[in-house]
Amino acid sequence: MTVATSEHASFDSGSVFLTGLRKFFGIFGMINRRLLFSGCMLVLVVGFGVLGPIILGRDNPMKTVGGLYDPPSATLWLGSDNFGRDVFTQLMHGTRTSLIIGVIAGLEAILIGLLIGTMAGYLGGIVEEVLMAFTNVVITIPSIVILILLSIAISTRSIFAMGLIIGLTSWPWTARAVRAQTSSLRTREHVDIARLSGAGTLSLIIWEILPYMLSYVVMAFVLQLNTGILQEAALSMLGLGPSNTISLGQMLHWALLWESVRTGAWWGFVPPALFLTLIAFSLLLLQASVDEILNPRLRKR
Amino acid sequence: MIIKNVRAYYAAGSGPEVKAVDGVSLAIREGDVLGIAGESGCGKSTLAAVMSLTARPPLNVKGGEMSLNGKTFSLVEQAKFPRDWHGKMVALLPQRAMNSLNPTARVRDFVVDVVRAHDSTVRPRAAIEQARERLEQLSLPARVLESYPHQLSGGMRQRVVAVISTLLNPQVLIADEPTSALDVSSQKQLVLLLKLLLECRFITRIVYITHDLPMLSNIANFIIVMYAGKVAEIGTTQQIVNEPRHPYTHALITSTLDPDLRVREHQLEGIRGAPPDLRYPPTGCRFHPRCPRVMEICSREEPPIVGEEERYAACWWVFEQSKTAGGKEAQS
Amino acid sequence: MTRFHSYLMNKILWFALAFCIALTLNFLLPRLIPGNPVDVIVSEMTTGGALSSEAAKGVYTAYIAEFGLDKPMHEQFLRYMGNLARGDLGISFARSPARVQTLIAQALPWTIALQLPAILTGWTLGNLLGVLTAYRKGVLDRGVFPIFMFISSMPYYCLAIILLYLFAVHFTIFPVAGGYSFAMTPAPTWEFFRSAAEHYVLPFSSLVLIFIGGQSVGMRAMSIYELDADYVRYSRSLGVADNRIIAYIFRNAMLPQITGLALAIGSMVSGALITEIVFSYPGIGSLLFGSIRQNDYPVIQGITLLIMIGVLIANFLVDIAYGFIDPRIRARTIGER
Repeated sequence: MTVATSEHASFDSGSVFLTGLRKFFGIFGMINRRLLFSGCMLVLVVGFGVLGPIILGRDNPMKTVGGLYDPPSATLWLGSDNFGRDVFTQLMHGTRTSLIIGVIAGLEAILIGLLIGTMAGYLGGIVEEVLMAFTNVVITIPSIVILILLSIAISTRSIFAMGLIIGLTSWPWTARAVRAQTSSLRTREHVDIARLSGAGTLSLIIWEILPYMLSYVVMAFVLQLNTGILQEAALSMLGLGPSNTISLGQMLHWALLWESVRTGAWWGFVPPALFLTLIAFSLLLLQASVDEILNPRLRKR
Repeated sequence: MIIKNVRAYYAAGSGPEVKAVDGVSLAIREGDVLGIAGESGCGKSTLAAVMSLTARPPLNVKGGEMSLNGKTFSLVEQAKFPRDWHGKMVALLPQRAMNSLNPTARVRDFVVDVVRAHDSTVRPRAAIEQARERLEQLSLPARVLESYPHQLSGGMRQRVVAVISTLLNPQVLIADEPTSALDVSSQKQLVLLLKLLLECRFITRIVYITHDLPMLSNIANFIIVMYAGKVAEIGTTQQIVNEPRHPYTHALITSTLDPDLRVREHQLEGIRGAPPDLRYPPTGCRFHPRCPRVMEICSREEPPIVGEEERYAACWWVFEQSKTAGGKEAQS
Repeated sequence: MTRFHSYLMNKILWFALAFCIALTLNFLLPRLIPGNPVDVIVSEMTTGGALSSEAAKGVYTAYIAEFGLDKPMHEQFLRYMGNLARGDLGISFARSPARVQTLIAQALPWTIALQLPAILTGWTLGNLLGVLTAYRKGVLDRGVFPIFMFISSMPYYCLAIILLYLFAVHFTIFPVAGGYSFAMTPAPTWEFFRSAAEHYVLPFSSLVLIFIGGQSVGMRAMSIYELDADYVRYSRSLGVADNRIIAYIFRNAMLPQITGLALAIGSMVSGALITEIVFSYPGIGSLLFGSIRQNDYPVIQGITLLIMIGVLIANFLVDIAYGFIDPRIRARTIGER
């Protein structure tokens, strides 16, 4: 009898191990074509913007190297823009600027959202009321209005300032979601235990609540990154883009202003438009496929 | 009603299917309440879906047939059942009444849709009148017809759903853990309502599915104990509760006598581990990895059925016991 | 009913607060420009050589007086609010005698004529496509839907640029710019309407395609969610007819979409700003673009105010209407039991 039991114990742990293995490879099985595609695209785009200028040694996108809308050639791979600047170099630097602005805006939005959301959700009571009232007011005022007003109020807009301005308008949705999750996490057993063992509010939030929101935070960041990049492009096309530098939105702005579309100089607007579309599509696809892996309910279909 | 050899598997992506119900047969006579008991994950809710003809992908019925009132149909193609079987022959009393009613429709609108689905000549007003009468017969307030689902308390909502399910006087009511989300007094009221429905002969058979054995002993006269998609033991309520044969039934009964609810729902006394992964069911007897009475043969061969049609257990240990007992009898 | 009244009052107070904050921002932010807006515009006029320094000084003092920029901030604010109350948004910097409200009134009809039909069409077609792809897998779900999913993830102005290049520049099917032929002045004649219609096709299509994409993605997800709901399974188990069940699902999935429609209409002024710039369409977007280039702060402020009012009103109406439409929400908000 004893022998039999120990045999079964080993069978049991064996099956646990096997199930674990299957689950592990199951996740890889779920890394479907869509995730692979979006991941590869993003790596390529980031590599292009960050490493491209270094590898090719093209560090000044503002240098005039040709005439007005010179067509693509052996030296100017994507032709020149309205000021005779190399479009290919601009594309690399523009991608980098757009990404940097998106990352700054995304990080800022996530940080503010986390701060306000966890404080409201964890502390509750009057703090929650006030913070959520503030959040709701910011949600109601259209972000494009705040963006336009802030952008014209700052006469010289650095890349960093652009990122900050954009992040300042996009945090409320994150704050709302974080608050909802925090209030439900607050009543969980492990939080109670930590509280009873004398942990402070801050360490409770950091160690007992934030880890459980990690997957949400990553997904929210991906979306905020996308919003940030698109907002920058929209502002630039309105003529409120970053000063003295190039971004994907700025490239489109100049292309429209100097009629590259109507004169048929496709190399002026196709590259930035294509890159914006590619980045937006890849980020959304990435978000959707990661969401699918984390939420099995969607997987059924 | 007779159900034979039901096999229902869940398709699970590219992996092997989950064999949630694997060769279950049962019979229920007029006037009977048949209880189906087992831990969560043993296949009882899947069986409920198959019997109530609501199996939808990813749940696929691979085999089995159902006979009722002299007619026999294959359960495999649930869509091919005549429309009037849904609700008129077999009706479902679902698990979560909370979400079982369309949140944006009044109860009476749903009643109209249910009645007219089976006889489109009935006027809406007549359908509502029919429901009103039924509610009054069961001493429930008729004003619930005017309410939206969220305006009713949880217990009332479940009772209203029970009334709607039985409005067309179905031959069999499949009650799938109808009390799992209710407080104790609402549970009692629902059981009383079901008994009343039987007494008034609005329904004639109930299949009552639950993990709550004490509840079952209160309403059922036959009980089937399921484990990992198969029938472990069958018998009258008295037999199952007082003289369980299968080691699993034994464990189930001992644990449900535990006053601590948490233990009652989540743990079986003296049995470690959880029900098996039904994509890879254990060989032989599916209970053998957790069984305190396990023998060498259990992991190799399917257990034999020991007993007769209405009182049996599928177990090697019971088989051995009966052999020894039989041997002793022969000797003496 | 008193509960509903207090809910209503609560909402009104709420939006009044948001509106005040928005107004203050609208007033304050352009005044935070280092120096003041008049400095910027006058210095630009002088460097452009359009004005002698003598004349510049005159313009400067005239502008300062006109906008009251020499007065203390609180006085400026009162004046601003007073003018607003009378519907006066002030004088444009760049097109000097013209009043801001006149410029906006000229541009706004073009924007509405472009956006409103595009939103309504896109919303209707998008909902249909979304429901259909949720019910019927197959060609629609695998073939048509991904295309619209791709389009909806595309920045709307990129689609506009591509359509403009393809159908107006590469294939010269449609005109390249404007809301009507440059040779005409708006008049109620057939030629004018024909010209306006020709200029309308591309900007309209670029907006409609994006709306269909976004709407169908949302509606599909919502329908799938509802299809999985317990009440669908229960209704089926009782033999309720498919078309009745579809009616339940449609109603429940539509409720959030109606909100979306109202909000889209409320934010239509800002919804197509860049489309108008791409097509040089004579609406609010082009006006804003020109005003930003010319540092025409009064016009910019007027437009941001307009955008804000539209969005706030739409949000307010949605909140109130939702209280009526959905019994679940109604129960929560006014405590009906």
